[in-house]
Amino acid sequence: MDKTIRHFDKELIYLKSEISSMWQLVLSQLQKCKQAYLTGNIELAREVVIREKSVNSFELGIDIGCENFIALFSPVAMDLRFIISLIKISTTLERIADFADGIARHVIDNDKMAPDSIKEDLKVEAMFDAVISMLSDSFVALESENTKIAGKILQRDDDVDILYREGRKYLADYIVKDPAKGECILETFLTLRKIERIGDHCCNIVEEIVFYIDAKVLKHSKARKLPEKIQENEVETSG
Amino acid sequence: MDKKLAQKIAFWIFRILGVFVVGILLWILGFIIYNGIGVISLEFIFDAPRDGMLKGGIFPAIVGTFCLIVGSMIVAFPLGVMSAIYTNEYVRDGKISRFIRMMTNNLGSIPSVIFGLFGMALFVNAMSWGDSIIAGSFTLGLLALPLVIRTTEEALRMVPDSLRVGSYALGASKLQTIRYVVLPTAFPNIVTGLILSIGRVSGETAPILFTVAAYFLPKLPSSIFDQVMALPYHLYVISTSGTNLEAARPVAYGTALVLITLVLIINFTASFIRRHFSKKLGGGH
Amino acid sequence: MNIIETKDVNFYYGDFHALKGVSLDVAKNSVTAFIGPSGCGKSTFLRLMNRMNDLIPETRLTGKCLINGEDIYDKRIDVDVLRKKVGMVFQKPNPFPKTIFENIAYGLRVNGIKDKAFIQNRVEESLKSAALWEEVKDKLSRSAYDLSGGQQQRLCIARALAVKPDILLMDEPASALDPISTSKIEELIFTLKAEYTIVIVTHNMQQAARVSDTTGFFMLGELIEFSDTKKMFLNPSKEQTQNYITGRFG
Repeated sequence: MDKTIRHFDKELIYLKSEISSMWQLVLSQLQKCKQAYLTGNIELAREVVIREKSVNSFELGIDIGCENFIALFSPVAMDLRFIISLIKISTTLERIADFADGIARHVIDNDKMAPDSIKEDLKVEAMFDAVISMLSDSFVALESENTKIAGKILQRDDDVDILYREGRKYLADYIVKDPAKGECILETFLTLRKIERIGDHCCNIVEEIVFYIDAKVLKHSKARKLPEKIQENEVETSG
Repeated sequence: MDKKLAQKIAFWIFRILGVFVVGILLWILGFIIYNGIGVISLEFIFDAPRDGMLKGGIFPAIVGTFCLIVGSMIVAFPLGVMSAIYTNEYVRDGKISRFIRMMTNNLGSIPSVIFGLFGMALFVNAMSWGDSIIAGSFTLGLLALPLVIRTTEEALRMVPDSLRVGSYALGASKLQTIRYVVLPTAFPNIVTGLILSIGRVSGETAPILFTVAAYFLPKLPSSIFDQVMALPYHLYVISTSGTNLEAARPVAYGTALVLITLVLIINFTASFIRRHFSKKLGGGH
Repeated sequence: MNIIETKDVNFYYGDFHALKGVSLDVAKNSVTAFIGPSGCGKSTFLRLMNRMNDLIPETRLTGKCLINGEDIYDKRIDVDVLRKKVGMVFQKPNPFPKTIFENIAYGLRVNGIKDKAFIQNRVEESLKSAALWEEVKDKLSRSAYDLSGGQQQRLCIARALAVKPDILLMDEPASALDPISTSKIEELIFTLKAEYTIVIVTHNMQQAARVSDTTGFFMLGELIEFSDTKKMFLNPSKEQTQNYITGRFG
């Protein structure tokens, strides 16, 4: 067909730009949330809470856009997969933003914050960095329609899981040592748990991207559990 | 009986009958050519008859027939095409069009000799044109009219309605639609029908018998009120009423050959025009 | 502003009550689609707007049909002038057996335009608007029948555009075409709405969804639902509409 951009494609491009704006917003929410948590910056935390609303409206907008797109254009094949994954990704992004919001609220409730020494022992910053890089890399994967980095992103979630498990053990020990700090420990554990969940959600997003681009379902499959396998494929395909 | 055998037999019956029809045509043609080719010469075609029409040529008769063809078409063409346009474009399925169509068919089934009588009564006597080209042309024109009307109607009906509707949708009036879309589209078929009716007219004897044809008139006409000789009538005369029928035979066959050639040329022209135009217009759409 | 307004339009073919009290408004520079089962009156309604139904004997109309605020069934209306303002494209491509150029020029010529340069310009402009210029610019003097079906249909659209109508009516313009040609026509419809108001009748619901801003659903001569296309296909307000567009009809 001719090179002119079809009406149909214009709608797709619009939806794509919406999801990338939402993505950037959620990324910045995460970064601010990390900053706020590590430094106890209540102002920054408040900003995160306020901006949560615009994440929600992005999600609603993308949902409506996708519904209309399906109703009006009856997409098939790659376009259909794109729309389906878009709906799921926007929902997932919104959940991630919810976690960021939750952490920010914890920061605002300043009195139950863990002391810096605990944060360092728990490697909270490393966990934050890991999930932030997962989210930004999966965005790159979507933009470049390249699933080769999917394996690496999924693998990073295992690192997060390990940090989380270690952290949980550390906190369990800590609560025995210093029961007076119980509430603070529980809150800290919840934050840890939230970061770990963000990592899981990032994995879901990666799965959706792989579904959209390669039409492969990674969810609940062995490939999901054995990211090495994907890496092997990667070597094969790139070689 | 075996189904396949029955099919074979039926096929062969159809084939034999089909070949038979072509055979008859070829036989007539061959017969005329065989007997007539001997007298065909430049003199025969371009000279006037002499010596009790046994010698000389048939030029006046050819010219006469030509005049009558042109004259009758001048009469029949506008009348026929306009009445066909009226019945097909204006009163399509009404009572008027049905009535006109019925009358046209009746007109077409009237024996040609009656046209001759009518022409004599009206044009020759009542209008006091006398035996003349104009009287003969009108008589032959009336004879050709039903055929012209029918073929024109056919041609107009073959113009798809979608074209008319498309034209109206652009703000064209009915007259503009007929003038710029319907007639140009139907034109090749109208011309074809016209030429076929010329073929029909050129061979008619009875209508010209009482209205125009001269028994023997070796000079060319100078006005439309002159009498002329005509090929079919000339043929009739030299085959039936000469003093020496045997001696006139070759001349008769020669005349017949010229007449039949003329008609065949007309028919071939018709089919050529049809094919040429329909190709140019991209075929029946 | 509403370019078309109909008020309680009833239409009869002889005794047959083909349209029952249809009232709707069509906004300027929008695409309006009519859908519905065969014989539901959608085409009849479309043909009311350029009085094509006048060509059918023994038909009768009650109610009002206004275009640009003017009652087009008023006695003083010149039908030829109306049809120049309300162009139409038909189900089957119906180019005239003329050259490509003459096909486009026809509408101008019958409207009394003789200026050669003007006609030349308008032909080019119309072919460009109909996204056909690139394909035919070197063969304007060829017969229109040399074009493919899809090109012929775009030629017919160009022909209609040449007289600069306000409204373009399209009666199933793509139903006789292959999918590629269909999508070209749909693209065209979408771009044309910048300059024209388009009303399209289609059997193809997806087509209505893809090209139109507003959709009307007809059934048994009644306008069941007339609403924003997105709403119509996501959340129709009438059960009949729902049943029809989901294929649960009958």
